[in-house]
Amino acid sequence: MLTRTEGIVLNSRKYGDADLIVTYLTSDKGILNAFAKSPRKTKSRFGSSLEPLTHARLSLWGKEQSLPRITQSDIIEPFHRIRENYHDIVHVSMLIEMLIALLPAGIPNSRLFTFLLNILHTVQTGEEGSKEALHLITRIRLLATIGYAPRLKGCGRCGKESLDFYPDSGTTLCSRCVTGPGSAGKPFMRLSNRAIHFYMHSIEWPIHISNRLKPATETIRELSALLDRHLTFLLSRKLHTSKFPVGVK
Amino acid sequence: MSGNVVEDLIHELTKLPGIGRKSAQRLAFFIMGMPDSEALPIAEAIVKLKEKARFCRQCFNITEDEVCSICRDPGRSRDRVCVVEEPSNLIVIENTKIYKGLYHVLLGALSPIDGITPDRLKINELVERVKQGSMSEVIIATNPNTKGETTAQYISQILKPLGVRVSRIAYGLPIGGDIEFADEVTLAKSIEGRNEM
Repeated sequence: MLTRTEGIVLNSRKYGDADLIVTYLTSDKGILNAFAKSPRKTKSRFGSSLEPLTHARLSLWGKEQSLPRITQSDIIEPFHRIRENYHDIVHVSMLIEMLIALLPAGIPNSRLFTFLLNILHTVQTGEEGSKEALHLITRIRLLATIGYAPRLKGCGRCGKESLDFYPDSGTTLCSRCVTGPGSAGKPFMRLSNRAIHFYMHSIEWPIHISNRLKPATETIRELSALLDRHLTFLLSRKLHTSKFPVGVK
Repeated sequence: MSGNVVEDLIHELTKLPGIGRKSAQRLAFFIMGMPDSEALPIAEAIVKLKEKARFCRQCFNITEDEVCSICRDPGRSRDRVCVVEEPSNLIVIENTKIYKGLYHVLLGALSPIDGITPDRLKINELVERVKQGSMSEVIIATNPNTKGETTAQYISQILKPLGVRVSRIAYGLPIGGDIEFADEVTLAKSIEGRNEM
């Protein structure tokens, strides 16, 4: 069966001599794996259209459940400027790893597809000086879009104001709600008011104007640590990309 | 092991990349039909390779000795080093007969999403070579894909402060191809990297 769709290449892995298995986020089929014959050969008709982050128009042959074959892939937007920037590709890889790890395959989510496209456009055109904040905002926004964002707006149980984030609850909890059997010594992070305000703005503001948010370096560090701990709890492991050096020593 | 020699060989051959059961079957019967003088050297060559092959202490190319023949060759220019991902890439560049410098094999490429970090490749060893040697240029010949590009970017950032010239092999169209079939990124890169005639 021939199907046509639009997709963003999330990742690809080598298969055999010159073949690839490509993972896409598609507009109407969610995360989808597909097989490409010989794209690694220099004269392949696929060219660079199967490189990660490429937004392409695809033709697929075969059933979705049994690894369809890519018969055609036409680039809509290559996003190659992101791939050519070391810091951008490391950060965007983190978003991609989060997506693949948290999102089940085959569940359509057109809002997420449009959102990822917006993120890629924003990162590609973003100013070099404000990229660190932008990368943090995109991580927060992505988690919010797929429903895994930590809750920092008051205590997750009673709504009372609280600055203590409990990774194993995925929320801030007040001193009253955290008491009870087994709660003594539960690990938590004390957040600053500034970090919580920035977090709320990151979720609420449209992504294309998020460059107006200018967080302090300390706020970025604080929220990055929070997201790392939150994700480590969700996945029961650290993200591969979090072990990757962002700055070159 | 099934106890059937043909079946055993088929089973072993299917472990090779790109060889399915049908191809393995065809190869097994072909080998069976070959004279001993042709078939046995194949087996001996595999045994020898596994017994003797190791990585060169300097460049991590595959060699039988401590240091490979390229690193030992006094006729090669020692002020240039070409960085490749795998030993197979080195062979292809050697086949061009145009490059007469040294090599450095990384034994992989960086991949944030797969957790392939710099400490898992031979990048520190490259930095040490550059620091110790009298190199004036490092040519990065990693694959022109995302992982190769990330690796090239990282190495370039780490080597530039050492005062060495870092260059990247050119992007462009394959010879013998038609422009109309080229994708936009490759074509754009070839226009950006055009040469004066």
